[in-house]
Amino acid sequence: MDVFLQLAITGVMVGSIYALVALGWTLIYKSSGVLNLAMGELTLIGAYVSWTFYEWGLPYLVALVLTLGVGIVLGFLVERLFLQPLIGESTLTVIMVTVGISFLLRGVIVFIWGSDTLVFDPPVFPSEPIRIGDLVIGQVFIWSFVAALVMLAIFVSFFRYARWGLAMQATSDDEMASRSLGISAKLVYAIAWAIAFMAAGVGGSLLGNINGINISIGFLGLLVLPAVVIGGLNSVPGAIIGGIIIGVLQNLAGGYLDTLVIAGVKIFPGGVKDIFPFVVMTLVLLVKPYGLFGWERIERV
Amino acid sequence: MMRLPAGIYHETYRQDQQWWQTRFVWARMLFLFLLLFVVLPLGLPMLDASIGRYVLGLANLVGYFILGALGVQLLIGYTGQITLGHAAFIAVGAYVSALGMLQFGLPYPVTLPLAAIASGLWSVLFGLPSARVKGYYLIMTTMTAQFVTVGFIITQYVAQVGGRGVAFSLPPGTITFGPFPVESELSKYYLMLVLVIGALVVVANLLRTRVGRAWVAIRDNDIAAEVLGVNVVRYKLLAYFVAGALGGIAGAYWLTSLSAVSPEHFEFALSLELVGMILIGGVGSLYGVVFGALFWALVPEAIQFGVAGLYPFFPELFGKLSPLRLVAFGLAIILFLLYEPKGLAYRWWQIKNYIHLWPFSY
Repeated sequence: MDVFLQLAITGVMVGSIYALVALGWTLIYKSSGVLNLAMGELTLIGAYVSWTFYEWGLPYLVALVLTLGVGIVLGFLVERLFLQPLIGESTLTVIMVTVGISFLLRGVIVFIWGSDTLVFDPPVFPSEPIRIGDLVIGQVFIWSFVAALVMLAIFVSFFRYARWGLAMQATSDDEMASRSLGISAKLVYAIAWAIAFMAAGVGGSLLGNINGINISIGFLGLLVLPAVVIGGLNSVPGAIIGGIIIGVLQNLAGGYLDTLVIAGVKIFPGGVKDIFPFVVMTLVLLVKPYGLFGWERIERV
Repeated sequence: MMRLPAGIYHETYRQDQQWWQTRFVWARMLFLFLLLFVVLPLGLPMLDASIGRYVLGLANLVGYFILGALGVQLLIGYTGQITLGHAAFIAVGAYVSALGMLQFGLPYPVTLPLAAIASGLWSVLFGLPSARVKGYYLIMTTMTAQFVTVGFIITQYVAQVGGRGVAFSLPPGTITFGPFPVESELSKYYLMLVLVIGALVVVANLLRTRVGRAWVAIRDNDIAAEVLGVNVVRYKLLAYFVAGALGGIAGAYWLTSLSAVSPEHFEFALSLELVGMILIGGVGSLYGVVFGALFWALVPEAIQFGVAGLYPFFPELFGKLSPLRLVAFGLAIILFLLYEPKGLAYRWWQIKNYIHLWPFSY
């Protein structure tokens, strides 16, 4: 039981980072209908940029804030250059532009930072774990959890109370009506991309603190796709819950399935952790084809 | 549409549907045949052996890309099922063929159809969700195919068979066609030509039968297709089977050019690249597959030449070829989608039309 609790709690903490990235992803999808496959590279950029600022000797918090700034700039830039000309194009076109963006960003990242693993040096968070009863939790996880929660709170309250957040909600609900009320759809799309870059950047930076920074963080960023699909693509609470579910599932799979032994035979040689979210996602889709909280679309000829 | 010269009329439906309708087309095809089968493989090396080998090697890569992208084109361009996991089926083909030869001692020509069938069935398995799941959600399930097949099953189980370690080395002399070893670039080239031309002929003819029309109907509107009496699920699964089988052939063919096969050859990036190829070539066109594959194989070479040319000024660029390649591919995809969304095949069609109608503009 202790093991279970331990795994579940760490899972929730890592899952909160996924939830943050997934939130950014859903905002883009909700406001502009773009299925963004470059999310992994967005997290990578954030991780590397914050690492660079940190290595300049800035405090981590300042580095994180500067990463947010870079995220805003990149978000507006990418949206203006690559996505705005394609408003109204077919699904495949828009998806493949994001694939193009992901190749491009990945190339730029490897070009600038190389492909070796980088670590935050000196470590941002103290390495001795905190003990609560029998539970042992690394401080990295706790602080990441806190940071992710703060960011989630900021974004959700922006979405609910700020003028432009409300404009985003209106656009995702009915673009035509919101435009007739004077809301600039282009600006809304740009803000959505800026938020996605910011959320993914912070998420990537936190993930980088846990495992070190290399290209495989891009794969962790890709894990938001099962998260948002399980939640249903156009639901913000769904994205957050989906992110946490994925984090927990991943940890439990790593803890239990990887060491599963039946009749003296090790069933899984390893690597279950990475594919488990995708398998669960497919199974969920077979039962509920629009995710847990997604809108069902009724199609007519 | 075929444009006929003045004075030639069709009297039967059969004539109207023929592939090669005029003498001129026959002559053009004969010219193409001679170019591909004689001039390029035999004539060029006579002029310069190293250039000849280089061109043939490049042609083999193009052939691999064509075989791989053909299945993606079938799914995306003709059936409307967006797939981002096709590298998985190429991997299955490669591993079935490799294991057949190394573990069971089967001859290569036998493993080739085996690989195609195995990949096709594996593809049908991952096509099953398409009966229920659509659109964006379906794209995600195809990604599951990629990660489960390559990242897990092949890496963790298949690659461990026989205790060979993660990479199966294919010693020289493993791949033979009857008594002939497929080792030199020339023999690989002829194998590639036969496979590619065979695959293209099969697919092109399939597309003008009942099956092909059903696929296009599903692509254009699946509900309307169902109303018209097309068994949507069956034809979707058939498309997955054919696409997977083509991928399997591609994988089994590519073994000839690999000294060792390992899961890294079939990463998620390859799946994305195959989709990039058909986008650059043109979605919904077989010419598009060929042009896209050519483009994709030639761009890295162009970059290499460019970097070699810049070497005196920026020597540090030389160590960064692979990120430069990624940047070029990314930019190519984005720019094509922005400025040439119909792909190279459409441009080719325009040029052909212009020449046909010259000197009039329409």
